[in-house]
Amino acid sequence: MSIIRPFKADDLFKFNNINLDIWTETYGLGFYFNYLSRWPDMCCTAQHPSGRLMGYVLGKAEGSQNDFHGHVTALSVAPEYRRLSLARVLMNFLETVSDDVYGGLFVDLYVRCTNTIAMELYEGLGYSVYRRVREYYGSLGLGPGGKDEEDAFDMRKPLSRDPYRRSVRPNGRDMIVSAHDVS
Amino acid sequence: MSSLALERQIRPIYDALDSGSHKSAIVTCNKLLKKHPKNEHLKALKALALTRAQKFEEAIALCEEVLATKPTDEGTINALMHALRHLGRYADLVKLFEDAFKQQPDNDELGRQAFFANVRAGNWKAAQLLANRLNKQFHNDRYVFWGIMCTVLQANDPMTAVDMREILLKLAHRLILASWKPSEAHADRLYLYITILQQLGLYKDAREVLETESGRFLCSRNIACDYLRRDIMKAGGWQKEEAEVAKQRILEKRDRNWLEFLSVLDATFLPSTLSNGTHHESSSSLPSDFAQHKEKTRELFAKVVEEDGSHDRAGWLGLMELEKLSTTHGVPSDASRLLDLLKRYFDIFGDKTACYEDLRPYTDLDSDSSSDWITFLEDSTKSSGTALRRSINAHKFLRYGLDKARLTVDQESSRVVNLVDEYFEALPLGRDLPKLELQPADDLAILAAQVYVNMFALDNTVAHLHNAVVLLEYASKKSPQSYQIHLELIRIYRLLGAPQPALDHYRLLNVKQIQNDTLSYLILSRSTSFSLAATGDLTYASECLESSHIYFSNSQETAEFVVKAFSMENAFQVPELVVFEERLDNSLQRDLVKIEHVRLRISHEPITTELVDMELIELKFIFDRQHHDNRDLGILPNYQPRGLPSFQSQTTLFGREPAAGWLSAFLKIYIKALSAASDLDPSVEDDKLLIGDRPRQSYSPDASIPLAERLAVHTTEELEELTEDELALFRYMTDLTDWLDPIHNFLRPRPETAKQTAKNDVSSNDGASSIEQGKKPEDAPPVTEPPESILAYFKNSHAKFSRAVEERRPIHEILHIATLAQEASESVILSIRFKDSSVVRINKLGLLVQHIKNLRAGAVEAVGQIGAQLTKISELEGTLDKRKQFVENCKALQAHDEITHEHVLDLGKKLTDSQKKVMEGVGRGIERVCK
Repeated sequence: MSIIRPFKADDLFKFNNINLDIWTETYGLGFYFNYLSRWPDMCCTAQHPSGRLMGYVLGKAEGSQNDFHGHVTALSVAPEYRRLSLARVLMNFLETVSDDVYGGLFVDLYVRCTNTIAMELYEGLGYSVYRRVREYYGSLGLGPGGKDEEDAFDMRKPLSRDPYRRSVRPNGRDMIVSAHDVS
Repeated sequence: MSSLALERQIRPIYDALDSGSHKSAIVTCNKLLKKHPKNEHLKALKALALTRAQKFEEAIALCEEVLATKPTDEGTINALMHALRHLGRYADLVKLFEDAFKQQPDNDELGRQAFFANVRAGNWKAAQLLANRLNKQFHNDRYVFWGIMCTVLQANDPMTAVDMREILLKLAHRLILASWKPSEAHADRLYLYITILQQLGLYKDAREVLETESGRFLCSRNIACDYLRRDIMKAGGWQKEEAEVAKQRILEKRDRNWLEFLSVLDATFLPSTLSNGTHHESSSSLPSDFAQHKEKTRELFAKVVEEDGSHDRAGWLGLMELEKLSTTHGVPSDASRLLDLLKRYFDIFGDKTACYEDLRPYTDLDSDSSSDWITFLEDSTKSSGTALRRSINAHKFLRYGLDKARLTVDQESSRVVNLVDEYFEALPLGRDLPKLELQPADDLAILAAQVYVNMFALDNTVAHLHNAVVLLEYASKKSPQSYQIHLELIRIYRLLGAPQPALDHYRLLNVKQIQNDTLSYLILSRSTSFSLAATGDLTYASECLESSHIYFSNSQETAEFVVKAFSMENAFQVPELVVFEERLDNSLQRDLVKIEHVRLRISHEPITTELVDMELIELKFIFDRQHHDNRDLGILPNYQPRGLPSFQSQTTLFGREPAAGWLSAFLKIYIKALSAASDLDPSVEDDKLLIGDRPRQSYSPDASIPLAERLAVHTTEELEELTEDELALFRYMTDLTDWLDPIHNFLRPRPETAKQTAKNDVSSNDGASSIEQGKKPEDAPPVTEPPESILAYFKNSHAKFSRAVEERRPIHEILHIATLAQEASESVILSIRFKDSSVVRINKLGLLVQHIKNLRAGAVEAVGQIGAQLTKISELEGTLDKRKQFVENCKALQAHDEITHEHVLDLGKKLTDSQKKVMEGVGRGIERVCK
C-alpha cells in the first residue's frame, strides 16, 4: 500500500529518510530539476499513506535511434520500507514509460559492483550485465579491495521493441570499458 | 586593427574564463581595453570575469555601463547575460534583452531570450504580453502555450489581487479553448487545460475533455495527468464513477496503487445525496444501503488479499481502513474483525519494518480487543532467531499502547533492561553482514534510547541520558551507517550540554545541498548558547554560513530550470518549480540561521558602521518575508507511547523549537538595536543599498504598515516561542530602545546629509559638524532617567544565573542565561554615537552619557561575574570525579560483556570534556567581552 505519484520539486524537502542512507547520494538542485524539467513523466515518488516518502525513481530517455533507451538515473527506497517490492513497482513504472511512451529498445542502469543486494534485485527483474565501467563512482572510502566499489556494472533489460534481445549479451561482466567511454 | 585580429585576441579571454582563471581574464581585458577603450564586448567580458572573481561592486558598475549602450551583438549580450545572472540582477537581464529585441524585432532568438528573462524575474504579466507578441510575429504554437502558462502563473501569484485572479483564469480559458486541438494534443497541454478548468471550478468541462479519446489516451500514459484526473473526479462529485475505474484497475491490471483503494473507499462512504444534489448536513448520513456497499468493498479487497497473499499489503490494509472508516462514520462492525485482521497482518508482514507504521492507525481498539492484542504481541516478543524483526515490531506496538499508569520510572526501567538484553542477544545475527549494511538489531537500541529519554522526562535524572549515550554509541560503532542512531545522539548530547559530540554526529550524517535547509536546525537551533565565538572559535559561525549556500544556489539555479521547463513546455513542473523556488527563498530556517549568525557576529566582531548598516538592511528585508517552514522535524524516530510528547519534543531544548514567532521577536530585537546605532535614515529605500544579489521581495500583507508600528507590536505567537530568559531580553531591549530612541532619532543625520557625505566624500572627520549642518535647529530632547527595568535586568540575570548554578540546573540552561545576559550587555555598546565628545557637548548630553556609563558599568559587573563564575564552575566539569560518576551511572549496562569499562570511561571523558570546554569557553568569552 503505497501511493505512486509524480515526483514533485517539493519532495526535496521531505526525502531525508531516503537520502540520509549511505547508498543514496544527495545532489545539487540542478541535478533533480534537470530531470524534472526534461523528463517529468519518468520521475515518480512512492509515498506511505502516513505522508512519509518511501522511495523514488528518476529516469531519462536517451541515445541515438539505434540505441534509444530509458535510463534509470536514481532508484532509492528508504531503509524502513525495504523488502516490500517497492523497487519492483518503481522499476516497472519506468520500464512501462520507456516502452509505451518513448518507444525505447531497452532500459539500462548503473550499479556499484559491490552492491550485491541491488544487483540481485535487478537480475530478478530481468536485467543482465552488459559491461563493466571502470572507476565510474567516487570512493566510499573502504580502503583495500576498493576497485569493486568504484567500478559499475552497466545492466540492461530489453523492451518490446527488441524482441530478439539484441541490446544484451551473455558475457557482459568481462566487457570492460573506462568511464570516459560511457555517457 | 581588423576585427578578425581582435577576435583572435579575445579568444584567450574565453579560455581563461572557461578554465576558471578569472584573474588572467581580467588582465587580458584590461590590456585590450587600453587599445579599444570603447569595445563593449571586452567590457562585458571583463564584467563577467569580475563577477566570477567576486568583485561585485566593480562588476555591477561595468554591467550598468554596457547595459546603457543597449548592445545587440551576440558576444556582448551573452557575456553580459552570464554576469547579470551570476549577480542575480534579473531586472537588468529583462532590460538587456528587451532593448536588444526592440532594436532587432525580427530576431526570434532575442525575443525568446527576452521572454525567458521575464520568466526568471517572475514578471508573468510582461512575459505573457511578450509571448503574445512573439506568436503574432513568428506564429508558433509554443508561444501560445507560453502565454497561457504565464497567465495562469500570474493568476496564482500572491501579489495578484483576488478579483483579478478569476479574470486572468477566464482569459487563460478562452485562449486555450481557441488553440485546443484534440488530435494534436499532448500530455502537457492537456494538463494545463485541465488545471485551468479545475481552478475555475468547471469540473464538468474538465471531465468531458478527460473522457475524450485523446484525454483517455494521455491519462493512461502520463502519471501527472492521471493524478489530476482523480482530483477532478473527486471535486466534481463523481466518486462512484471513479470507484468503477479503480476497481477495474485493481482487478484487471492488478494495480496496487493505494490511490485506487482510496477511490473505492471514498465511494463506499459517500453520504447519500438529496434530490437537489446537496449533501446531507450530518456527516454520518450514510445511505440506507450502506451495509451492502461496504460488503461489496470488503469482497473486493478480500479478493485482492486472496490473490496477493504476502506479495502486497494493499488488500489487507484496505480491509482495515474499511473497518476503521466504518467506526468513524458511526457504523462500527464486529470488533473482533479488525483484531483478527491485525493479527493476520502481523503474522504475514510482521517481519517488515514498515509493519509498525502500517498498522499503528488501526490499533486504537476497545478494551477487550486491546488486551487480546497485547497478549498476542507479548507472545510475539519472546521468540528469537529469525523472528527478530517481528519481535521489534511487537515491542513498538506494545510501547505505543502504554497508558500513563504503566509509565512510571520503575516500569520503564524494567522495560529498558529487556530491550537492552534483547539487543545484545540479537546483535550476533548481523555479524556477517557487510560493513555498509544496517544491523538488524539497531531498532532495539533506538527503542531503548527512547525509553531512557522518557525516563529523563519523568524524573530529570541525567543518568538516564548517560545510559542512552553509552548504548547508542556502542550501537553506532556496530552499525555506523544508521542515521537514526546519529539523530538520537545529536539530540541527547545537546540536551546534556555537550555540543561537540553532537556536532560530530551531525557531520557523520553528511548533510548536504537542500538537506541544509531541512536538517540544519538539528545543530544550529539556539546555537548561540553553545558558541565560543567570543573566544575566537568560529565553528558555529562558519556552520551557519555553510548551511546558507543552498539559498544562493537556489536563486542562481532554480530560475534556469523554470526557463528550461518552459522551453520543454512542461506544464506540470513549471508551477512546481516556481513554488519550490519561493519556498526555499523564503525559508524560515534560512532566517533563523541568519539571526543566529548575527548574534554570533556581534559577540566576536568589532562593531563597525558597516556591520551595523549591512545587517540592518538585511534584517529589515527579512522582516517583510512570508516564511515557509521547510524543516524536517519528522525525521527523528518516535516510538513514545500515544498521548505522550514525541521523542522530538522531549529532546527539544527548553521544550520549544524556535519558529516564526521566535524569529519575529529576534528580528524586532535586532532591527531596533541596529536602527538605533545606524545613521541610515529609516525613510531611505533599503533595497537600493543592497549590493550584488538583489533578492526578490516576497509578498507581505503588512508591508504597507510603517515599520516602526510593526516593530512595536508584540504578538502572542512571539511571546509563546521565547523562553523566560529570551522574553526578559526582549523586554529589556524594548525598554532600552524606547528610552534612547528619541535622542538617536534627533542625532541621526538627515537623509540628504548622509547621502551627500557619502557621495562627495567630504572629509567628515569632524562628525559633529556634518551632523550639525543637517540637523533641525531645535535642541535635543530632554534626557530622561533610564527605566528601572533596564537597570534591574542585569541584576536579575545574575541572580537567576547564580540560582541555576546552585540548583544544578542542566548545562544548556545555565549557558542560556549567561549568553543572553552577554547579548544584552553587547547591545549597550552597539551605538558609538555618544562616544564623540563634541556631539555630547553641543547637544548637552552629558547626563545621558553618565547614565549610559552607569548602565554599562552595571552590565559589565553583573555579566563579568557571570563569566567568572561560569569559568570557575567549569573547573568542576571534566574531572575524574565526574567521569567516575558517569561510569557509576552506567553500571547496569556494563553487566553486558560487550560494554567494556574502557568504552564507558572513554565516553564519560568525551562527554564531560565537551561540557567543560563549552562552559569554560563561554565563561572566558564573556569575561573577554566585559574587559
